Amino acid sequence: MSKAKKVLEEARELQNPEMDLCDRGIGTFEELSGLLNMTYITRLTLSHNKLKSVPPGLANLTNLEILNLSNNLIEELPLSLSSMPKLRILTLTINRLYNLPRGFGAFPVLEVLDLTYNNLKDSSLPGNFFMMETLRALYLGDNDFERLPPDIKNLKNLQILVLRENDLIELPGEIGDLPRLRELHVQGNRLTILPPEIGNLDMASNKSVFKFEGNEWVPPIADQLQLGVSHLMDYLRSETYRVLYSRYQTNKPPVPPPCVDKAKKVSRIR
Amino acid sequence: MSPTPMPGLTNMSREHMICSKCGEGFEPQEKIVNSTGQLWHQQCFVCAQCFREFRDGVFYEFDGRKYCEHDFHVLFAPCCNRCGEFIIGRVIKAMNASWHPSCFRCEMCSIELADTGFIKNGGRALCHECNAKVKARGLGKYVCHKCHSIIDDQPLKFRGEVYHPYHFTCTACGVELDANAREDMNELYCLRCHDKMGIPICGACRRPIEERVVTALGKHWHVEHFACAKCEKPFFGHRHYEKKGLAYCETHYHQLFGNLCFVCNQVIAGDVFTALNKAWCVNHFACSVCDQKMNQKTKFYECDLKPVCKKCYEKFPAEFRRRLRRQHEAATPKKASTPT
Ligand SMILES: [Zn+2]
Ligand SMILES: [Zn+2]
Ligand SMILES: [Zn+2]
Ligand SMILES: [Zn+2]
Ligand SMILES: [Zn+2]
Ligand SMILES: [Zn+2]
Ligand SMILES: [Zn+2]
Ligand SMILES: [Zn+2]
Repeated sequence: MSKAKKVLEEARELQNPEMDLCDRGIGTFEELSGLLNMTYITRLTLSHNKLKSVPPGLANLTNLEILNLSNNLIEELPLSLSSMPKLRILTLTINRLYNLPRGFGAFPVLEVLDLTYNNLKDSSLPGNFFMMETLRALYLGDNDFERLPPDIKNLKNLQILVLRENDLIELPGEIGDLPRLRELHVQGNRLTILPPEIGNLDMASNKSVFKFEGNEWVPPIADQLQLGVSHLMDYLRSETYRVLYSRYQTNKPPVPPPCVDKAKKVSRIR
Repeated sequence: MSPTPMPGLTNMSREHMICSKCGEGFEPQEKIVNSTGQLWHQQCFVCAQCFREFRDGVFYEFDGRKYCEHDFHVLFAPCCNRCGEFIIGRVIKAMNASWHPSCFRCEMCSIELADTGFIKNGGRALCHECNAKVKARGLGKYVCHKCHSIIDDQPLKFRGEVYHPYHFTCTACGVELDANAREDMNELYCLRCHDKMGIPICGACRRPIEERVVTALGKHWHVEHFACAKCEKPFFGHRHYEKKGLAYCETHYHQLFGNLCFVCNQVIAGDVFTALNKAWCVNHFACSVCDQKMNQKTKFYECDLKPVCKKCYEKFPAEFRRRLRRQHEAATPKKASTPT
């Protein structure tokens, strides 16, 4: 507690717009008296603390561009965060979020949203989640999604989509409508087939990354992946695959069991 | 006065014929002159002045009498005031004298005046042009080389002649010229265009830039012609990004070259950190978990292609680290910058 206070006082004296409060054993924002009045700060990093909640008043920091709350114990977020006018990067890696507040997708300028290693599932996302058109990177790795809604196509500026180690059974074809996507991580899910629209993506370029390991791909897809991502992309665009895919639509391959043991995730601890 | 030379010959019945001059008949075998329907004794068909036969039968008639060419000229025909010869045919009466049309010429430039008219100027016959010049000179003015009238305002000098400026338009912008126009490489330009030549010529349309000049890529541009090399939309003052002599809008620069900082999303001006399929500016290359700055030498771990410093990685839940390690082993080893 005194550690954090000292840092705050020093920061106030220096008028430093970047506030580092990492690993200070902070359990609640009440220990950070005066922080919410330091409206000049542009970055607030509170990683590796013991925060369980975030006060709505944090949104008073109207100049904040980067908010990093990695590795805390946060179970709930205030809706007010999504009204922060300059917030561009919000990092909530390794927390205990089961849900996001209704209306959470209202961020005006959010570019990077990192929700890695939480407990989010299909029903956790508010209706306007995919309205965040300014989003460049969306990190949803290590959560419990089984499906993503077709609304994802609204994220026109999305360049990075991480879905590593969820429970995804299938991907929406609308991912193929994301013109700027250059990183797609779907390792460690329960995927068997890919929508042909994925072939629209420029995943074979040297500026792109497609991570696909740890899924139960049907043999034709597994064979192409063996040859390389460019072979897969050509194949997804082929008439052969189109026919095969429509056959799979009526006669779906069996859904593989979850391949990741999530029970040991610290985010599950209640 | 239009003389008609008329050589005569006859073939009529002689008893009824009489000489138009003396009224006598003709002897048989006598030569009869027939001219304009009348008959003469040969000795009667002569010049009324010198009584000689008409040379080649050519005579001139005046007031009912016939004259030889010489006497006709002497008695009646005018003399050209220039060459002194008789004037047969068209006579130009001007300046109190007679002239052959080809002899009545401008006293300054010698152009024929018969059909164009002339102006009396100080006892001389002058063409309009020369008259204007003389008059202008007297007034200290010029005459337009195109329309030959006096240039009351400032003249335009072009290829060694003077003109009314309004006969010309600017080669670049087409505006009607005034006396401030400038000649350049045998072409005329308005002052504005000329002043801008040599310096701000638009790098896109090659025309002079008359309004706001954008200077970029070592060239000048019309505001509306400085545009993204990919989508061709003008920047209109918005930020642009340069690469290999071309300018791009943010979207296309990023799309084509991908050199925006992952954190600030701005084009990286100075040193670039490139790793994990991303780039960072010097200020923003930091651990994605604790935001601590890193440098080239900092060893870092990778999670979803984000950099994680060693301290943070060690704070990750053990089971998470185990899974990340397993994944790295599954993927082909390629990230040299990632210690394991
Ligand atoms: Zn003459
Ligand atoms: Zn003349
Ligand atoms: Zn003129
Ligand atoms: Zn001009
Ligand atoms: Zn131009
Ligand atoms: Zn463009
Ligand atoms: Zn940056
Ligand atoms: Zn760190």
